[in-house]
Amino acid sequence: MAESMPSRAPRRTDKTPPAPAIQVAEKPVNVLVVGVGGQGVIMVSKVLATLCQRQGYQVKQSEVHGMAKRGGSVFSHVRFGETVYSPTIPLGEADVLVALEWAEGLRWLSYLKPETGIFIADTQQIVPPFACRNRQHGAGSGYARETVADVIAQVANCYAINAGQIAQELGNSKAGNTMLLGMMSTTLDFPADDWREAIRMFAPPKAIDINMQAFERGRDWVETHDPADLDPNQGGDQPAPIVEVMHEAEFELPVINRAWCKRCDICVKFCPERCLSLDEEQIAVLHAPEKCTLCRICERLCPDFAIDLKYKH
Amino acid sequence: MSEADKQFNIHDYLREYLFPHFLCPGCGHGIALRALLWAIDELDIDKDRLAFVSGIGCSGRLGAYIDANTFHVTHGRPLAFATGLKLARPDLEVIVITGDGDCLAIGGNHLIHACRRNLNITCMMLNNEVYGMTGGQVSPTTSDDRFTTTTPYGNHEPVFDACALAEAAGAGLVGREITLQTPSLKDVLKQGLAHPGFSFIEVMSDCTEVFGRKNDLGSSAEMVLTQKASVRPDFLENAVDQPFRPHQIKTGILASNDRPEYAESYRNHIDAMKRDHGHA
Ligand SMILES: Cc1ncc(C[n+]2csc(CCOP(=O)(O)OP(=O)(O)O)c2C)c(N)n1
Ligand code: SF4
Ligand code: SF4
Ligand code: SF4
Ligand SMILES: [Mg+2]
Repeated sequence: MAESMPSRAPRRTDKTPPAPAIQVAEKPVNVLVVGVGGQGVIMVSKVLATLCQRQGYQVKQSEVHGMAKRGGSVFSHVRFGETVYSPTIPLGEADVLVALEWAEGLRWLSYLKPETGIFIADTQQIVPPFACRNRQHGAGSGYARETVADVIAQVANCYAINAGQIAQELGNSKAGNTMLLGMMSTTLDFPADDWREAIRMFAPPKAIDINMQAFERGRDWVETHDPADLDPNQGGDQPAPIVEVMHEAEFELPVINRAWCKRCDICVKFCPERCLSLDEEQIAVLHAPEKCTLCRICERLCPDFAIDLKYKH
Repeated sequence: MSEADKQFNIHDYLREYLFPHFLCPGCGHGIALRALLWAIDELDIDKDRLAFVSGIGCSGRLGAYIDANTFHVTHGRPLAFATGLKLARPDLEVIVITGDGDCLAIGGNHLIHACRRNLNITCMMLNNEVYGMTGGQVSPTTSDDRFTTTTPYGNHEPVFDACALAEAAGAGLVGREITLQTPSLKDVLKQGLAHPGFSFIEVMSDCTEVFGRKNDLGSSAEMVLTQKASVRPDFLENAVDQPFRPHQIKTGILASNDRPEYAESYRNHIDAMKRDHGHA
């Protein structure tokens, strides 16, 4: 079976650098898939593992999703070849690193093979709340400031695009994962139809069409771009865009019940964003709603139950 | 219902027609009441099973505002009433709300024996160092040198450590927290409610209007902050005692044991007696 993995088909024009070649030799091929909770890291690695198995390889997959529910790191090692012993990829041994989130990708870069490793990344950033210096919902952060250009300079092969946004344009941002699978499909020489079939097995039935389109878009990107090309969608020399801050705004702005407020000033003094004050009648008002982070401290500390943040759902 | 669907809404637990409540502006008792109701909500205790027993005082008055079964009883005796209630109706979740005066002065005797019996009752004592309701007399927890209407030269009586007392008397679980740490206070109360024996939870509350004013302790916000500076959470328990800060108080769960719960052991005992001695 080993011979059936020749280097990737030469689809490129003369201008493009030689394609990265992944061989299944006596050592297994290592693919590391990383992201944060809820993104579909496990789905991506299952598609790959199933596909490899169907190609007749031995596959080992191991995953860690400890803090997944809290927006923490999720990663999955997929190793396949004639014989695979250890389920985990050693440092500096990954042939492909697939990152569903930019900062997670950066975190795992040292796992890539320095000379030949291929980095496939969605440049979207999902920032956990504790990394936000400005606690405002939806605000930016100083999180993962490395630009795509910075990373291109560091790794052998880098394909970084704003897959989430492109998939959004196709109708479902979640299909960004499948776009990355499309990109990956060009680096492992399995028949494209086998990839499509494996994706069909794991994509939600309603989203199969969008996922198929996303898969083609991913393949197209690699075929038409150099690894060093920057995604015009996002200006690759800028820090990656933040698409989502993990904490959702689940509450509405604080509402103050004027009839119950006793002017004690506690909410005013303890609001971390200083957005409350006492008005001319000495009753609490939210004078700077734009600064409110919905932290609910005012609600908790009001001894008079005069502040409510209504739950949205 | 999933965690996300169910969000604590304090208004589900209040007798809104009695609001605004009678507490003075900034009184810490209100924050403590929220923490208690929040803990109850998280434990998803059916309102019909909730029975609050409270004594006399600003603290005791809180019971009136809760939309559940509430008994507002005589000064110092909520634990005595609660004991009877729990023995007769072990199916109820019996919660006592009391003050430092109510629980340690006139009711101190009842506290000792409630701890000794270890009935499954949760006792939340709001310690504001003073008899707030009656205008600010000294209480067993008034700190050294504090002025009250009955200590015009400053208090010189030694202070009762209510948690140490409860622990020594055998309470199943003993905890303490300040109001500013509302989520931790809620968690301590939750553990108290979940504990199968007698739980004694001391809340460091503050009487801003009477005690704060008399002792020049600043605004309500300042009083709460001062409290925060004087606690040492239980996770720092092993820290070296700081010689220049003798007033540092421990917070968190301070003691627990698994002594038998009295209502259950009492019933078992009666059953055994009937069986062994042929009583009907
Ligand atoms: C038998 C009896 N003695 C005295 C009183 C007067 N009294 C009412 S409340 C109170 C003290 C309350 O202090 P505390 O329990 O600390 O409650 P706080 O108001 O401080 O919350 C006293 C002595 C009473 N109501 N009944
Ligand atoms: S904490 Fe409550 S009572 Fe005090 S000023 Fe704010 S809204 Fe009014
Ligand atoms: S929720 Fe309340 S305390 Fe928090 S930022 Fe908004 S106004 Fe301030
Ligand atoms: S007198 Fe003190 S304890 Fe009573 S309501 Fe006023 S501030 Fe609170
Ligand atoms: Mg008191």
